[in-house]
Amino acid sequence: MDMNAPFFKFGFFGDEVSLIVAFVIGIGFGFFLERAGFGSARKLCAQFYFTDLAVFKVMFTAIITAMVGIFWLSWIGFVDLSLVYVSPTFILPQTVGGLILGVGFVVGGYCPGTSCVAAATGKMDAFVYLGGIIAGIFAFGELFPFLSAFYDSTPMGQLTIPQYFNLSYGLVVFLVVLMAIGGFAGGSWLEKKMAVRATEK
Amino acid sequence: MKLTIAHWTINQKLALVVGVLGFLAVVAGNPYHGAETTLNAKELSLVVEKEVDHVSPEELAGWIILGKSDYRLVDLRSEKEYAEYHIPSAENLTLTSLNDGTLQRNEKIILYSDGGIHSAQAWFLLKAKQYKGVYILRGGLEEWKDRILFPQLPENSSPAEIAAFERSKFVSKFFGGAPQIGGAAGTATPKLSLPKLEPPASPGQAKTAAPKKKKEGC
Repeated sequence: MDMNAPFFKFGFFGDEVSLIVAFVIGIGFGFFLERAGFGSARKLCAQFYFTDLAVFKVMFTAIITAMVGIFWLSWIGFVDLSLVYVSPTFILPQTVGGLILGVGFVVGGYCPGTSCVAAATGKMDAFVYLGGIIAGIFAFGELFPFLSAFYDSTPMGQLTIPQYFNLSYGLVVFLVVLMAIGGFAGGSWLEKKMAVRATEK
Repeated sequence: MKLTIAHWTINQKLALVVGVLGFLAVVAGNPYHGAETTLNAKELSLVVEKEVDHVSPEELAGWIILGKSDYRLVDLRSEKEYAEYHIPSAENLTLTSLNDGTLQRNEKIILYSDGGIHSAQAWFLLKAKQYKGVYILRGGLEEWKDRILFPQLPENSSPAEIAAFERSKFVSKFFGGAPQIGGAAGTATPKLSLPKLEPPASPGQAKTAAPKKKKEGC
């Protein structure tokens, strides 16, 4: 049998090893977030004032790297995309959840992942943020019976953009790449513009 | 041109790489490799209802005797069972290996298993993948044994039945079977030994070898 991904679904390792793999990937993710400067709330918040769009650029780079990588790996037959989990879409609760996360990001200066990174380097505000996350999880869990109707509303199943818009997968890949490259160029232009405005003041 | 690329920043070069990969993705086709399919439920149910997806053992026997080769006969049982006995000219494929692309969509494919269940499931899978000419051997290998290899002439049979039996005797002999006279099916069946694979059906034998080679090639 030749080695094919996803390794877990094809049974190359069990539950215990998968936890170790998840731990290693998580530590790696955190390390690179820290090296990109995302352990600093100032840097993270700067993107909302368009003075430093590093977060946008790094995240979008990660997205298109993963997307192009998965597309071509599955094209050559290394990854079986049909076995890769796609989380189901619940359009209304997910929109509301995204807005809450966005507001929390602006107010707190971190997103959940970067708050862990910042806490790992000993930043006090990150510990407070983490405490807020845990309190929020607890409150959500306790209130879940009242929220469950909304939580499960507007289900759309496991949906992907190519399926929903009936486009070819390759075309969507190309459009997202174009969007990313356009976003990078536009972002850099915006950063320069905002920097000039900051010095004029 | 070369000089200008040399002056590009690393970001611009990476953007070029991802842009090229993204552009090529447009023409690369579906990364799911057809693991997902859509079904025309109406067409399928009509086909099943009208039973146009069946081939009777007699029809198949006739094709093999005539040496027709415009179809592929697929044995869906295990390798071991296949090695013990298979219908001449059949090739051995499992349900999972049906997706490997050994079968072509424009071929006439006849499926059989022991009974009818596995072949019916395989038929559905192939139909879902837009294979056009997929057929099931009616009753599977069991009916093939009953009607072709070991046909029975019941006691007190009519002249028409006797005439039919005379015909099926030749067919049975051709495939190395043993026609049974007298209705004692219960006692006769256990003694019946399946024909050895070498002697019967010399025209079919050459065909048995050819598709197997094809399989090894993959």
